[in-house]
Amino acid sequence: MKTSWMKRQQHLGYLFIGPNMIGVILFFIIPAIYSFYLMFTDYKFMSPDTKFVGLDNIQRMLGDEVFYIAIKNTLMFLLSVPVSIGLAFIVAVVLNRSVYLKKLLRALYFMPYITSGVAVAFVWMLLFQPNNGPINGILRAIGIANPPGWLSTMESSMYAVDIIWIWFMLGYNMIIYLAALQEVSGELLEAAKIDGARTWQTVRSILWPLVSPTTFLLLITGLIMSIKQFGIIQAITQGGPGNSTTVLSLFIYQNAFRYYEMGYASAVSWALFVIIMIFTVVQWLGQKRWVHY
Amino acid sequence: MNKAVFNKSLITLVMLFLSIVMIVPFLWMISTSFKTPAEVFQYPIQWIPVHFNWSHHVKVWTGENSFMLYYLNSLKVSVLSTIGAVTLSSLAAYGFARIQFRGRDTMFMVYLSMMMVPPQVLFVPKFIMFDWAGIYNTHWALILPGFFTIFGVFMMRQFFLSVPYEISEAAFIDGAGHFRIFSRIILPMAKPSIATLAIIDFSWHWNDYENALVFLIDHDLFTVPLGLQNFILENNVDYNGMMAAATAGIIPMIIVFLIGQKYIIEGVASSAVKG
Repeated sequence: MKTSWMKRQQHLGYLFIGPNMIGVILFFIIPAIYSFYLMFTDYKFMSPDTKFVGLDNIQRMLGDEVFYIAIKNTLMFLLSVPVSIGLAFIVAVVLNRSVYLKKLLRALYFMPYITSGVAVAFVWMLLFQPNNGPINGILRAIGIANPPGWLSTMESSMYAVDIIWIWFMLGYNMIIYLAALQEVSGELLEAAKIDGARTWQTVRSILWPLVSPTTFLLLITGLIMSIKQFGIIQAITQGGPGNSTTVLSLFIYQNAFRYYEMGYASAVSWALFVIIMIFTVVQWLGQKRWVHY
Repeated sequence: MNKAVFNKSLITLVMLFLSIVMIVPFLWMISTSFKTPAEVFQYPIQWIPVHFNWSHHVKVWTGENSFMLYYLNSLKVSVLSTIGAVTLSSLAAYGFARIQFRGRDTMFMVYLSMMMVPPQVLFVPKFIMFDWAGIYNTHWALILPGFFTIFGVFMMRQFFLSVPYEISEAAFIDGAGHFRIFSRIILPMAKPSIATLAIIDFSWHWNDYENALVFLIDHDLFTVPLGLQNFILENNVDYNGMMAAATAGIIPMIIVFLIGQKYIIEGVASSAVKG
């Protein structure tokens, strides 16, 4: 809408946006450009001469075994996203129906998301102790003689991280679904009931399609958020045992700030950017097939 | 008891049980922080310790690695960042939502695209820039970038767009300019949104581990997440102490959450569904 007051004092627009824009330029745009340049250098922190090395970093990356392990681990980490979304949908549908203590329940499910990732990382580290941790204690008590080693073995560590992440994200996804479900008109559900639809049919043929834009949004933002995440994994496993939980974002952090291979780290970080782009574009193209607006 | 009430109660019980599964790690954490070392991994789990052992909490709050220091550092960083972020986001959001000027939509597209850039891309150059500017390993390395949140601009813009245009129009006819419309009319109406953004932003800064990890070295600058990590690295066999430290790390956010629950939940929901 173009009205006279919106157009008056146009120059003031720069005054309103200016302060924020300066920060966005300083802390987002310039670093992004700078990082793009660093990708083609052998920059190491504290070393005086930095050489332009062309595509060496990219070649090194493509020949680096750990880079591929990190991609595989990242994909395994991302498996937790649809699982968490699925569980959150079920919880949200139930909580949206008539239950007592609705507010309390909502808060309890949301609690993990608000707490510090580092603190919960350490709690899970103890819960997952293979020999005498409470989780394996319970598993043994219900008759599982050889419970997994969780964070301590290369085979199971990524699954343990996935479980933690599913738990962490569940409340967030649920809150978003609850907001979406509240917009579903009661009349529609009433009509379905009159037509004799069962609960399961209502959920599958009415609620699930109606909230599909939300599912799509949660999937895109969840994947992007998870792909960037490294705090929890750094705190729990620091990528180990071996490289079994080294995801791409952690691999970048380690190269940059543990080995000070900052040129190389910049190259890998742009690979991460490309992966995020691909994810976003593929989902954007794919959404027409299953998202109902 | 009629059938509807019975069903409702049954579902509530099931959901309550599952929600306890969600918070069981916290319950175990608190319970363990009061136990003796021998009781940590006792099975079946003893949820309420026989004797409450306060010594681990005392250790966390006194001595060289006191959480007092981490709390003060985190409070400083989080409060200053949040004040800056809310102020600058509101200003910019008003500009984007309510003033027409050349290049506005292009600028907004640039903002949008910056959300796609992973923080890992920015860490190394920011590290070099901060070192060069002399703010590396100071709290400013966390506070200054904290002033600028693209999410904050989006959230506030969304709210300003929902305020009826007639209100601004009327003020304009009465002779008010944009600054007056912003400060006297729109901003007071935006109080709930400001509270929402402030609480969400505060929780980000309080829990921010990644930036602190990259930009701080000196122990006396550590914020709560780094302090927690430090405590655990130095006491890695003292499981009770670890859990007392984790409790100290989590309690402030739980308090903030209980106070601002409505704002946090609505803010999270509206930012995703509408934004």
